[in-house]
Amino acid sequence: MEMSNATMRRRWRPTPVNLIAGGLVIAGFALAGLNWGFIALVGLGAFGPGVLRELGWLRDKDEFELAAARRAGYHGFLAAGLLAFLLTAYYRLHPDLTAWPGNLVELILVVLWFTWLLSSLLAYWGARRMAMRLLVIFGGVWLIFNILSGWQQGPVGVLMQSLLAVPFFGAAWLARRWPRAVGILLLGLSVFFVLQFGLQRVVDDPFRSGRIFVLIFFIGPLLVAGLGLLSREVDERE
Amino acid sequence: MKPRQDITSHVRHHRLLRGGLTQQDLADRLGVTRQTVHAIEKGRYAPSVGLALRLAEVFGVRVEDLFTLEKDDGDE
Repeated sequence: MEMSNATMRRRWRPTPVNLIAGGLVIAGFALAGLNWGFIALVGLGAFGPGVLRELGWLRDKDEFELAAARRAGYHGFLAAGLLAFLLTAYYRLHPDLTAWPGNLVELILVVLWFTWLLSSLLAYWGARRMAMRLLVIFGGVWLIFNILSGWQQGPVGVLMQSLLAVPFFGAAWLARRWPRAVGILLLGLSVFFVLQFGLQRVVDDPFRSGRIFVLIFFIGPLLVAGLGLLSREVDERE
Repeated sequence: MKPRQDITSHVRHHRLLRGGLTQQDLADRLGVTRQTVHAIEKGRYAPSVGLALRLAEVFGVRVEDLFTLEKDDGDE
């Protein structure tokens, strides 16, 4: 390969800004168990460096990194803005429905952050590599989650639960050879899982047992990986 | 419709011509991250005029030798 071992070792190192921001995010989540007021620290860690960069007080990123962050921010704005208007329309049309405002805000924050994260990965890795890595990462996460949740049911339970991770790994392996076909397959799988998961149940009571968040974290990677593999970038850039 | 204009990068070609120059070496000379060099080489990122000029200076070529404009069919 063209990179020496020494070069590979210094591929990525957290900067002081990364460490401070990450520390604030972790501390915010950890301390929120004691007092919800500490959740504001998460906001400071997540958004503070960006605010300082836009003010010109922090110059720790080069032009590509700034462009990627701004593009991801725009994607987050589009996703969160669209969701906010859909939620407004839905709850205005159904005045009998009540949702705790905190849940709605958390939902918008999750979509905002998730979109930003996926868009950043797309900028750094490119469409195909992002799709493959995303599928492997989420396949791994779901495998661990399913093994743990199936543990009490014995080996058969673990095996059955683990099967849920197979589509992720299979798609990641196939994506290298047939990106378009796998892209279409992933979009189909997204629709299938939405229906299988019970979209109506989610719409009726989205925040019971965190249904909506499970839906976002399960369907989101499949959907984004599928769209990535179908994007024009795959043929032209990679 | 506004024509889509893509830029083809020849940076990788010029870097490999200078044997032993890694992406990290080039990034260090330009004052950017390795990911930025990688994105430019892959054509995922079109650098600013300033960075393109610095690249040209490092390789001792013209900017036009490093990047060429691809014109879409709708551009004609």
